[in-house]
Amino acid sequence: MSKRTTIDAKGAFCPGPLMELIAALKLVEVGDEIEVLSTDKGTVTDTPEWVNKVGHEMVETVEHDGYWSVVVRKAK
Amino acid sequence: MAGQPLFILLCSAEHEKIQMAAMLASVAAVSDRPVTLFVSMGALPVFQKGLSPDEAYKGGSFSKILRDKGAPDAITLFGQGKMLGEMTVLACSMALDVLGWELEDLTEDLFDEPGGLTKFLNDAEDGQLVTL
Repeated sequence: MSKRTTIDAKGAFCPGPLMELIAALKLVEVGDEIEVLSTDKGTVTDTPEWVNKVGHEMVETVEHDGYWSVVVRKAK
Repeated sequence: MAGQPLFILLCSAEHEKIQMAAMLASVAAVSDRPVTLFVSMGALPVFQKGLSPDEAYKGGSFSKILRDKGAPDAITLFGQGKMLGEMTVLACSMALDVLGWELEDLTEDLFDEPGGLTKFLNDAEDGQLVTL
């Protein structure tokens, strides 16, 4: 059964949240999801670009009060 | 499938340029682009083993903002790119010679080997070259 891990990268600047996401993806199983909480607006546009480039799956991006939740599923 | 290789020639001691090189290198490396970083001239002493960020980075007003705001440390970013992607880091053999340094004098676990400019340029014919 897939699981979701949340990383709180609020306050980190580019490319910190992306690097934290990638490091976390290395540690989980295919099908698992990583949720990154980020105050860096670039995370919202850069993460889908990276996901598309390397072949994972975007699950969702949700805007909260002052930060975003970006969820990626490990696909390979 | 691996993307176009990225070659970065880092010569400047300016913090802002080193930060940009670190961002380019780390993001490209984790995006399936093999990265080769060639560090020479004034950039090499920035990587002297044992320096604190305040001692290592010399920059202008934006350098102060980067440090005050807690932007990711450039040398740490290079290390993350190397750990999470495909990155080769070369220390210019000429710069090492004039400094009288060996690889052991540089940031631990970052540099792969001393490198010559001729091979770097030949290899870079197959990719994209960025100079900072």
